[in-house]
Amino acid sequence: MSFLIIDKVNKVYTGKTNEEIVALQDISLSCEQGEFITIVGSTGCGKTTLLRLIAGLEQPSSGTITIGENAVTGINEEVTLVFQQYSLFPWYNVLDNIGFSLELKGVDKHERIERVQKLISLVGLTGFEKSFPYELSGGMQQRAAIARALAYNPKVLLLDEPFGALDERTRHRLQEEFLAIWEREKKTIILVTHNIDEAVFLGTRIFIMRDRPGKIEEEVLIQLARPRSRQSKEFTDLHLHVRETLENILE
Amino acid sequence: MKTVFNFCKKHAVSLILPLCIILFWEVAAKVVDNRALVPTVESVLKRFFHPFADLLGIGNYLHHIFASAFRVIIGFCMAVVIAMPLGLISGRVPILSRMINPVIEFLRPICPIAWIPFALVIFKTYSVANLFGVQYTRSIFGDIQIGMLFVIFYGGFFPIFVNTVYGVTSAKNIYIESAQLLGCGKRQLFKRVILPSALPSILTGLRIGLGNSWMVIIAAEMLPGSEAGLGHLIMYAYELADMDIMIFSVILVGIIGSLLSHGVKLIENKTSTWQAKER
Ligand SMILES: Nc1ncnc2c1ncn2[C@@H]1O[C@H](COP(=O)(O)OP(=O)(O)O)[C@@H](O)[C@H]1O
Ligand SMILES: [Mg+2]
Repeated sequence: MSFLIIDKVNKVYTGKTNEEIVALQDISLSCEQGEFITIVGSTGCGKTTLLRLIAGLEQPSSGTITIGENAVTGINEEVTLVFQQYSLFPWYNVLDNIGFSLELKGVDKHERIERVQKLISLVGLTGFEKSFPYELSGGMQQRAAIARALAYNPKVLLLDEPFGALDERTRHRLQEEFLAIWEREKKTIILVTHNIDEAVFLGTRIFIMRDRPGKIEEEVLIQLARPRSRQSKEFTDLHLHVRETLENILE
Repeated sequence: MKTVFNFCKKHAVSLILPLCIILFWEVAAKVVDNRALVPTVESVLKRFFHPFADLLGIGNYLHHIFASAFRVIIGFCMAVVIAMPLGLISGRVPILSRMINPVIEFLRPICPIAWIPFALVIFKTYSVANLFGVQYTRSIFGDIQIGMLFVIFYGGFFPIFVNTVYGVTSAKNIYIESAQLLGCGKRQLFKRVILPSALPSILTGLRIGLGNSWMVIIAAEMLPGSEAGLGHLIMYAYELADMDIMIFSVILVGIIGSLLSHGVKLIENKTSTWQAKER
């Protein structure tokens, strides 16, 4: 049995005029521990909703989600989510933000700072320990948010368009840093993006979603060796394939 | 000398208007030439340099400042102690807030001064000293009338309550969810997310509330039963037609009021930089 199982999940919202909005329809997917799943789809196809369900922030209208042995019925320590929007606590500096979960667990100050320092250098924020979120660029805030999630050390890490607001060069650099983290920490990662290049470059598998209603259109296994070259023919072929699928959905 | 010069240079713009007003006042005093109507600038401002000089036989100005300040401190602290927890709870418990909101919205627009006659009837001129059974000794507690505390409390309560509720309810969902996703339970959530989110707004409430209390106490002290305080001094000077002291006391009220507001503002700036800078 797989580690994370999403079984025939539907999510229906009620709109302002009482109409039904089918955000997710009949979503089923399963993944093993240590996989790096990427999900692509146009805006509004339910990617964020899916992550919120896996994180336990919301309940499916029908269907079940299981992580390990347990059904997800609410927020739990197996999984955490890095939001698409900036979510660092503005009243804490970088150090306190990243160390947030450690402090809650009662990790003593000395060890906490040591562990946070490691994460800070991991995400390349050395020298900004005492900075407040408003003093950081968008990309730096997002990196700190990722470090904060890593400090919590969940088995499953969900990321909602984490590199969306960045320019291409920074995005590529962060993707590579993030891959290194994933390879070292052996986490199960589900990363949502609307950037095809990102999905192909990072994922072990891509799920392509369509909207209205939000559904999984196609699953693509990516067996490219790492480090992946964006110039290789296999890469560009896959890129093209995903793009065509997404374009077909739009028609 | 150099620092004085620098200070003037930095604040030159802010100093223009006050200097104009003083100049206008001086000219008006010269033109009217009747000290019972418009006293000279010098005759009023020189009183600052004699803090221990008895005014009109009812004590020096420090004594009156102290009396007013002491009343406000006590009344305002009562308001803080009750309004803030109430605001924190009702911001988190919708049923409670729906229960008390109509009453709050009804009482809030009533000027605290309107309650003074009522307070006089209910509390007479009883002071805190009477409350503790100390009848005849003149202590500072003898100067703190219950009725006055009531109106100060009234003036401070609503801004604190309303701003606390606002602060608590406006804690952003994304911070609450982020904290929960990092293993933050209910109690910790309140301490680490709700409270810091609400703090800037709470401090604004405290500043407005303190300002209100200070306005109200001056008015309350003008009424019967008061034997000290800046309001009392103003009224007493009025009765003796001493324009100097009247204006001097009013200026004191203004200075202390702005110092109080400025003090809280400093704390606000220190603790809520993040909010001002949040994009
Ligand atoms: N709380 C909600 N209430 C009503 N509709 C919602 C809610 N959340 C999401 N939706 C709708 O569900 C659909 C999917 O949204 P979302 O998951 O945010 O998409 P994506 O992240 O892929 O852009 C959208 O049509 C959106 O309007
Ligand atoms: Mg989204």
